[in-house]
Amino acid sequence: MFDDYKSSSYDEMMDEHGTIRPHWKTIVDNLEELGLDNLEVKRQEIEWRLEDNGVTYNVYNDPSGASRPWSLDPIPLVLDENEWKIIEAGVAQRAKLLNLLFKDIYGEQRIVKEGIIPSEVILTHSGFLREVHGIYDHLAYPMMIVAVDLARGPDGKMWVISDRAQAPSGLGYAVENRLTMNSALQVLYKNINVQRLYSFFEHFKEILLGLGKNSSGNSLNVLLSPGPHNETYFEHSYLSSFLGLTLVQGQDLLAKGGALWLKSLKGLRRIDAVVRRVDESYCDPLELRSESKLGVAGLVQVLRKRGVTMANPLGSGILENLGLYPFLPQLARYFLDEELLLPQVATWWCGQEKEREYVLENLHLLTIKTIDRSADEPSFYVGKTLSLQAREVLKNKILQQPHRYVGQEEVMFATAPTFIDEKIVPRKILIRSFAVKTSEAYEVMPGALVRVSCDDALIVTGQGGGSSKDLWIIGEDIPPTTLTQTMNGMSQTLYASLLPIVPTMTSVFKSKNISENSLENIPTLRAENLFWLGRYLMRTITSARMVRLTLKTLANATRYDRNGDEKVQEVLCAALTHLSMTYPGFLGTGDQKITKPIDEIWSVMADPNRIGSLTQVLTMLLGASSSTKNLLPLEGWRIYERLMREWSDFTHKQQPTQRDMIAGIDKLLVQLMAYKALIEETLFVEQGLVLYDIGARLERAGLLIAKARSMLTSEYEPFVEYEVLEALLGTSESLNAYRAHYRSSIEIKQVSEFLLLDMQFPKSLISEISQLLKALPKLPKFKHEMYLSRYEEPLFEAFSQLRLEKIDHLCEKQGGTFVRENMDAVLSSVADKLIIAAIELSKTYFSHYDE
Amino acid sequence: MLYQIYHSTQFLYAQNVTLSHNLVRLKPRNTPFQTLVDFSISTDPTVSEMDNYDDYFGNHLSHILIREGHQHLKVIARSCVAMDIAAIEAHQLTHEFAKVLTYEQVVSALRTNNADILDAKQYCFPSHFISHASRDLRNYAQQSFEPSKSLYESVEEFMGRIFNDFSFVSGFSDISTPVDEVFAQRKGVCQDFAHLAITALRSLGLAVRYVSGYLETTPPDGEIKLFGVDASHAWFSVFIPGFGWFDFDPTNNIIPAHQHIVLGYGRDFGDCSPMQGVVLGSGSSYLNVMVDVTRDELEG
Repeated sequence: MFDDYKSSSYDEMMDEHGTIRPHWKTIVDNLEELGLDNLEVKRQEIEWRLEDNGVTYNVYNDPSGASRPWSLDPIPLVLDENEWKIIEAGVAQRAKLLNLLFKDIYGEQRIVKEGIIPSEVILTHSGFLREVHGIYDHLAYPMMIVAVDLARGPDGKMWVISDRAQAPSGLGYAVENRLTMNSALQVLYKNINVQRLYSFFEHFKEILLGLGKNSSGNSLNVLLSPGPHNETYFEHSYLSSFLGLTLVQGQDLLAKGGALWLKSLKGLRRIDAVVRRVDESYCDPLELRSESKLGVAGLVQVLRKRGVTMANPLGSGILENLGLYPFLPQLARYFLDEELLLPQVATWWCGQEKEREYVLENLHLLTIKTIDRSADEPSFYVGKTLSLQAREVLKNKILQQPHRYVGQEEVMFATAPTFIDEKIVPRKILIRSFAVKTSEAYEVMPGALVRVSCDDALIVTGQGGGSSKDLWIIGEDIPPTTLTQTMNGMSQTLYASLLPIVPTMTSVFKSKNISENSLENIPTLRAENLFWLGRYLMRTITSARMVRLTLKTLANATRYDRNGDEKVQEVLCAALTHLSMTYPGFLGTGDQKITKPIDEIWSVMADPNRIGSLTQVLTMLLGASSSTKNLLPLEGWRIYERLMREWSDFTHKQQPTQRDMIAGIDKLLVQLMAYKALIEETLFVEQGLVLYDIGARLERAGLLIAKARSMLTSEYEPFVEYEVLEALLGTSESLNAYRAHYRSSIEIKQVSEFLLLDMQFPKSLISEISQLLKALPKLPKFKHEMYLSRYEEPLFEAFSQLRLEKIDHLCEKQGGTFVRENMDAVLSSVADKLIIAAIELSKTYFSHYDE
Repeated sequence: MLYQIYHSTQFLYAQNVTLSHNLVRLKPRNTPFQTLVDFSISTDPTVSEMDNYDDYFGNHLSHILIREGHQHLKVIARSCVAMDIAAIEAHQLTHEFAKVLTYEQVVSALRTNNADILDAKQYCFPSHFISHASRDLRNYAQQSFEPSKSLYESVEEFMGRIFNDFSFVSGFSDISTPVDEVFAQRKGVCQDFAHLAITALRSLGLAVRYVSGYLETTPPDGEIKLFGVDASHAWFSVFIPGFGWFDFDPTNNIIPAHQHIVLGYGRDFGDCSPMQGVVLGSGSSYLNVMVDVTRDELEG
C-alpha cells in the first residue's frame, strides 16, 4: 500500500529511510487491513455524508454564487500526545501573549513607550482601530478565541506560520470533520486512543453562557454573520446551533441605550454576548467603514458603554500583524518573562534599517508580505518567482513605505499521507489549532483543522481548493473509547453519540434551542423575509399561470368563433397586465397599443428590468429565500437553485417560439410547486410558517381580487363569458373544485359566488380572509382578549362586508350598462383593506423604532 | 477676547427617517491658546439619547440617537471660546526659535521613537484621506525643502506657493475628490489645500496633522456683516521636535493666530468631520450648513 510512497520533504508518517514512524504504526496497520478498495468506499461515504449534511465552503467572487462541497481526506493526521503537549503549551502561551499585547495596545501602550517595539508597527497597520482605544481596560481577557496556523519545518519541528485573532474560522469544520470520521471510519479507530473534543467544547459553551450572567433571566448570545453569501456561512450556521447561539446578521440588530438588541417578532431583546464573524472594520457604519451594510450603527458606542461582550473584540485585527513577528520573542520576555515555546517563521520587518537592507539584498530568496491585507495590492510576493523588473518595482515600493513590508523565510511544509485518485500520496499540510479562554487560562482544542494542498503547491488556503483532514492526538494516557457498547445494535446516531464530542451536540439541541426557536424569538429579518417569501411565491405562481393561460389562448385561437376569440384574448391580456401590474402593457392605447402580443408576453416573462415581470419577481423571491436557507432541508435549496439557473438560461436566450415559451412556463410551474410544497411541509409554526402563511394568503387574496375585477365585472356575450370564466377558474386552481361542487355549466353568478363568497371553498376570497383572521392571533404581540389589533381591524371589516353580501346584489348591472358596479366597488374596498392590514402588520412587527 | 460661534447643520431627507445615529464633533477643544467658556447643543427633533466622550486625539464627540420619525434634522451648536492673546503673543518667540531647526534635523528626529515625539508619529503616515503622494506632488513640494534649510521657513514658503499656484473655487470638489485631482486642476477649497499640503509634507517625512475650526471674517469696509456668512475652516499643523506644533493656513497664506479658532484635529478630515450619520429609512439627503463667528464686543 505504501510501496511507492515517497515525499520530497519531511513526511509525517515516514522517515527518510522509508520507515513508518512509531506513532503511525497502528493506523497504518488499520489502513492496510482496510485496503485501498475499501478506503475508496469510505472516501465516497465521507463525501456523501458531508454533502448530505450540507457542509460547504462558498467560493468568493464566483458569479454563479456556487458553493463547493467541503472535502475531507479519509486518512487523519496523527500526532503523538507527547509532541502535542509541547504544541499545546506553545499555542496556549501564544494566546496568553496575544491577549496581553492586545490589552497593552488598546490601553497604556507601554510596549511603545518603553521602546520594546517601534510605534510604526502599530500605527501603520490597518487593524489598529483608534475608535476602540481605552474601552477594554476593565477586561482581563478580551481575547476569547485565538487560532494559530502551524507547519512542520524540514528540521521536524512545528513552526508558527501565522496567528488568526480577528474572527478565526475553522472551528465548525473541525467539529464536522471529527463527527464524520466518527461515523464513517470507525474501523480506523481500532487499537487507538484518540483524544476527544468533548470537554473542550463543554468548557467553551460554559464560558459563552457565563458571558450573559450579569443580566437578569435568560441570557441571549448571538453569532453575528455576514450572511449566506459569506464563504464560511455553513460554519456560522453550524457553530451557532452547536454552541447554542442565535444566528444573526447586522440588520437583525439595533444599538440603543448603551445596549445591543435583537429585533424579534416579540419585540426587542437585549443581547449579552456576540460571537463575531463579521470583519471588524465592517461592524459599525457610523464609526468604522461607512459603506458597510453588514454592521450595526452604534455598535462601537455600545462597547464603549460596556453594554455587550464580544468575542473577539473589535480591534483584534491588529494582532494579525506580520510586523509584530520579529518582536514577539522580546514581547514574550516582557509580558510573561518566558521564551517562546514554539519557533516562528523567520521574519524581517523593513521598518528597521538593517533588516530592510537584508530583505532588499535577499529579495530573490524571501517571501515578501505586507503587514496587513489591503484591497489595493497583493498581500504577498514570492521572491524567486519574480522577474528582475518586478523585483525592482517591489524594491521601490518597500523603499517608499518600508513599514508596510516584511520579508519572510520561505516555508517548507511537511507532507502527510493523503488518499487521492485511489492512491496514497504525500501532500503538504497546514494545521490550524484553536485556543479559547476558559475559566482561568487558555485551553487548546485537542485536535485541529488540517488543510491539505491540492497538489505540490506551496500555498495551502481555503479559497484555493484542496482538501482537509482531521487531527488525531493519540497516546497511552488517553482514556480508550468504549467500543463494547456499540455492539448492541444501536442506531447510527446513538452509536456515534458515545464517541468523542457528540454528546455536546445533543445536549445543546435539547437545552437552549427550544426556547430560541419559539415564534416570538424569531429575528425580525427572518420573520419579514418569511412574510415576503409567502407573498412573492404566490405572486410568481399566479403570474406564471396567468401567462401560461394567455399564451395558450393566443395559440388556440379560432376554434369556433373568430370575433369571440379576439374578445377573449383581449380580456385575458388585459387581466395579465392588471395582475402583474406591468402597466401600460395591454391597456396601452394610441402609440402604446400592443401590436405584437407575444413579444409583450415575453417581456412580461423575461425582462429583468421590468417591474412585475416574472424574472423580476423571481429575483425578489431570491432575496426573501436566502434567509430561510438554514431552515429548509437541502433539497429545498437544490430545487430553488436549479429553478433559478434554468429560468435564467431560458430567458437569456433569443425569444423562443410560442410553444417553447409555454414549455418553459410549465417547467417553472412544476419547480415552483415543488418548492412551495417543500416549504409548507417542512417549516413548522415556531420557525415562522405562520408568517409565510399570512404573506401567502394576503397575496393570494389580492391577486384574486385583481383577476376578478378585470374578468368578472363586465358583461360579455355568452361564448366569451364562458371562456373567460373558465380561464379565471383555471388560473385560480379552482376549475375541478367548481365542477365537483356545481355539476353544471359555468355561469357568472355561480362562479362569482364560488370564488368570492363561498365559505366552504378554501380558495375563495372570503375563506382566505377568514383564515387570515385565524392565523393572526398566533403572532406574539398585541394579544388582547377584548379588542382587535390594528392589523386585524381592516380584515375583520373586509370579512363582514363579504359575509353580508348577496350574489344577486353583486352581479347586478347598473342602469342598462354592462358593468357590475356593485361588485367592483366591493372588491375595490376589500383590496384597500388588505393593503392597510399589510401596512399595519409591517409597522407592528418589522420596524422597531418606536419601542 | 471672546468669540461666539453658531454652527447649524440641517439634513433634509427624501423620505421619513425613523432612526438616526449621528456622530457630532462641534465642541471646540482647549489648546494652549484658547479655552472653551460655554457650549450648548440643540437638535430638532429632540434627541432620545446623547453620549459625550473624547476620542483618541482628544477631540470632544457626541453620539446622538434620534428615534422618532422625521424628514429633517437640525443640529445647532453654540460655543463661546476665549482666546488667550497674551499666550499667542508670547508664543511668537517660540516660532522664532523653532526656525533654527533644519529640515534634515527634523526628519532625523522624527525617525526615532523618543518619548517626546511618540504622539506626533501617527501623523507621519498615510491615513484614510491621505494616500501616498504621487511623484509629481512630491517633487512639487520638494522644491521648497533643502536638507540644511530651516524647516519652519520651508513650510512657510510651501504654504505661500499653494496660495499663489492654486485658486479657491468652491463647488469644484467635495470630500471624495482625490488630492491628485486637486493638484492637477490647481483649484479647490480650504479642506483640499490642507489635504494636499498634508499629503505632500508627509511624503517628505514630516509629521503633519489636519486642523478643523473657524476663521473670523470681516466684511469689506463700510458694510455690515450678515449673520451666517462664515464657514467651517481647515488648515494644517506641522510638528517640530522640541518645539511642538505650528499651524499654517494655505488658503489665506497666514500663520494662524487669534482669528483661527480650533475645533479639533486628527490625521485628516475623517478624524474631524463635524457631523456624520447613519439613517434608516431614506435614500438621499440634502445638507445645509450655516456658520457664524462673531467677536464678543463687550469683552472686545
